[in-house]
Amino acid sequence: MSGDDAAGSAKRDPAELIRQVASGDRVAFAELFVLLAPRIKAYLVRLGSDPASAEDLAQDVMISVWRKAPQFDPSRASAMTWAFVIARNRRIDSLRREDSAVTYGHVPPDVEAETLLADDIVAGLQGDARMREAIDELPADQQEVIRRSFFEDEPHSAIAVALNLPLGTVKSRLRIAFTKLRSRMKDFQ
Amino acid sequence: MTNPQIAGETPTPRHHPSPETLASFAAGTMRSGFDVVMSAHLQACAECRAEVAQFEQLGGHLITEIDPVALSESALAATLARLEEPSRPPPPRTAGGLDQLLSGARRRWVAPGVWAARVDTPSHHDDRVFLLRVAPGATTARHTHAGAEFTQVLEGALDDDGVIYRAGDFVELGEERTHHPKVHGSDACLCLFATEGRLVPTDLIGRIAFAIANV
Repeated sequence: MSGDDAAGSAKRDPAELIRQVASGDRVAFAELFVLLAPRIKAYLVRLGSDPASAEDLAQDVMISVWRKAPQFDPSRASAMTWAFVIARNRRIDSLRREDSAVTYGHVPPDVEAETLLADDIVAGLQGDARMREAIDELPADQQEVIRRSFFEDEPHSAIAVALNLPLGTVKSRLRIAFTKLRSRMKDFQ
Repeated sequence: MTNPQIAGETPTPRHHPSPETLASFAAGTMRSGFDVVMSAHLQACAECRAEVAQFEQLGGHLITEIDPVALSESALAATLARLEEPSRPPPPRTAGGLDQLLSGARRRWVAPGVWAARVDTPSHHDDRVFLLRVAPGATTARHTHAGAEFTQVLEGALDDDGVIYRAGDFVELGEERTHHPKVHGSDACLCLFATEGRLVPTDLIGRIAFAIANV
């Protein structure tokens, strides 16, 4: 692959690609790789991974995508949310491999989701559109702390340093931003 | 040990993690060890599971918007070549969930009616994750913690400065505070805690108990 920003020009719907990958289609996988891998690498780098490790881990994530594709259920989550959860969990696993053995830890939400009631879920793409609307309505400074809270390794202190704000201000701004986002998402239901 | 939450007998929890805490769990940036307590709450709380699912949706939105970083020219070919590799077993985790955690707990009796058990997690060195079981009538030590403390009530009820937390409830303390939670009612109270830094008991009994329990 060229490594250019081919992701932006991908023509096919990622959910459709995942369905084809589930039946063993390597061409669809290559297309999905071009769409997802550079975003996953960017996500890992933002979270403090060095570029070489991020590259390796992004490839591991794509192998998980290949293996888990048959479990993808578009009525539960959009393709991008599903990919995000896989990337997040693989990152946590890799951090823990470097650490001690885990006896109990993060409940992998793709398992946990099994216990959700259908009514609890804002399904798939529709939910994504609502999330986009909800976040777009927030003031710019609140959007910024939300974005940083997902993409910084030590979110609170990193945000405080980056935005030159006291830690207490960061915490209260995050609380306000997520509370607003939550209530807007609830309004849509 | 019976676990009423897993049996689904617990009423809907009334005290929940804050939105920013739910979001940090969804983002995968929660301090390791604290996520154990959070997972225990999620096992008991459908409402918070749904909120975490929404914040995961936010994660999906954010990686859609992120500026991509190109991989090397050979990355796709290398990945395609590895697709048929046997999968590495994932790190062992919550097959038995809370039940496994409870049955594996090495209990240390620290006072009549009181036991504590450290929980093994890859947490920061000075952080502590532990179970504490206190019989009715027994008091816990007054203590100060240097940073955040998460508590999930598993059985019985807890009275912290006049607020009653029952099985299924989550108690989130954000910063340094001295407090003296007590058992509420006539049943023993079992809680799962995560604390940032070691607890500092502020009385003699506490110092002895905490030293025995190594919490």
